[in-house]
Amino acid sequence: MINVRIFVTYKQSVFDPQGETIKEAIHSLGHGEVKTVKVGKFFDVTLDTNEDEVAMAVKEIADQLLVNFNMETYTYKVMEEA
Amino acid sequence: MKIAVVVFPGSNCDVDLYEALHSVCHADVEYVSHQQKSLAGFDAVMLPGGFSYGDYLRAGAIARFTNIMPAIIKMANEGKPVFGTCNGFQILTEAGLLPGGLKRNDNQRFVCKTVPLEVVNSQTLFTSHYQDHERIALPIAHADGSYYADEKTLDELEANNQVVFRYATENPNGSLHNIAGITNKQGNVLGMMPHPERAVETILGSTDGLRLFESLLENGRIKVEA
Repeated sequence: MINVRIFVTYKQSVFDPQGETIKEAIHSLGHGEVKTVKVGKFFDVTLDTNEDEVAMAVKEIADQLLVNFNMETYTYKVMEEA
Repeated sequence: MKIAVVVFPGSNCDVDLYEALHSVCHADVEYVSHQQKSLAGFDAVMLPGGFSYGDYLRAGAIARFTNIMPAIIKMANEGKPVFGTCNGFQILTEAGLLPGGLKRNDNQRFVCKTVPLEVVNSQTLFTSHYQDHERIALPIAHADGSYYADEKTLDELEANNQVVFRYATENPNGSLHNIAGITNKQGNVLGMMPHPERAVETILGSTDGLRLFESLLENGRIKVEA
């Protein structure tokens, strides 16, 4: 089994209203040094496959479902075994 | 003209859409479950508002995988009228029948009110009973209605007159180019965040949505007679 964490975020060029609102709240805490906050989501996916096929599987899942490429982008990393 | 109103799990404006067509316009309309695989015998299909699949993942993202979706895509490709309002618009973008997508409102809020709109293109199947640049008012009710597309796509939408409705005085969700509704390049698929089906009788506060359905029905009749 291989555990993969897939991160989906808005593209840099897309305004992230949640991130902006959270940044303002952080400023209210007194942390004016915080310049940007971007909100995203992640998916922990367990695959019953081998390492060679993970990249292709993740790409297909991300391309066809998890990511709306009009406005979003993604990265992923293979996690250490629990 | 026989019209299908598709019912997804979580649709909640399907009855509004059906009754606007049935009770008000006296059109030939039927509910069609998302489990059906065919739209044979129908001349047009409409996707209602609501929260299909609980807006899980992204609004409209899961509805794309329902049994009925290939039949909707087939109708769109055949040039038949396909209409989506609110969640229906979100589903049409997720299915790739319309460009761009809908993201969270800039103000982070669910906005529910009647807003002024400009009819930008009255030369479509859905808007021929309106005038260009006419001001109308329709209800909106959404949290994920901020239309987004990259610059190239926006330029194409404008160049091809695919922007059909724009927010007129204030932009309630931060949509780019104040976009409230667009068609595909061929003009037979319309998606819009406002709810014309909620503005078809005086008692509802506005009848400005009625002409959208009347336009479609009349254009359908003309096509049948031709």
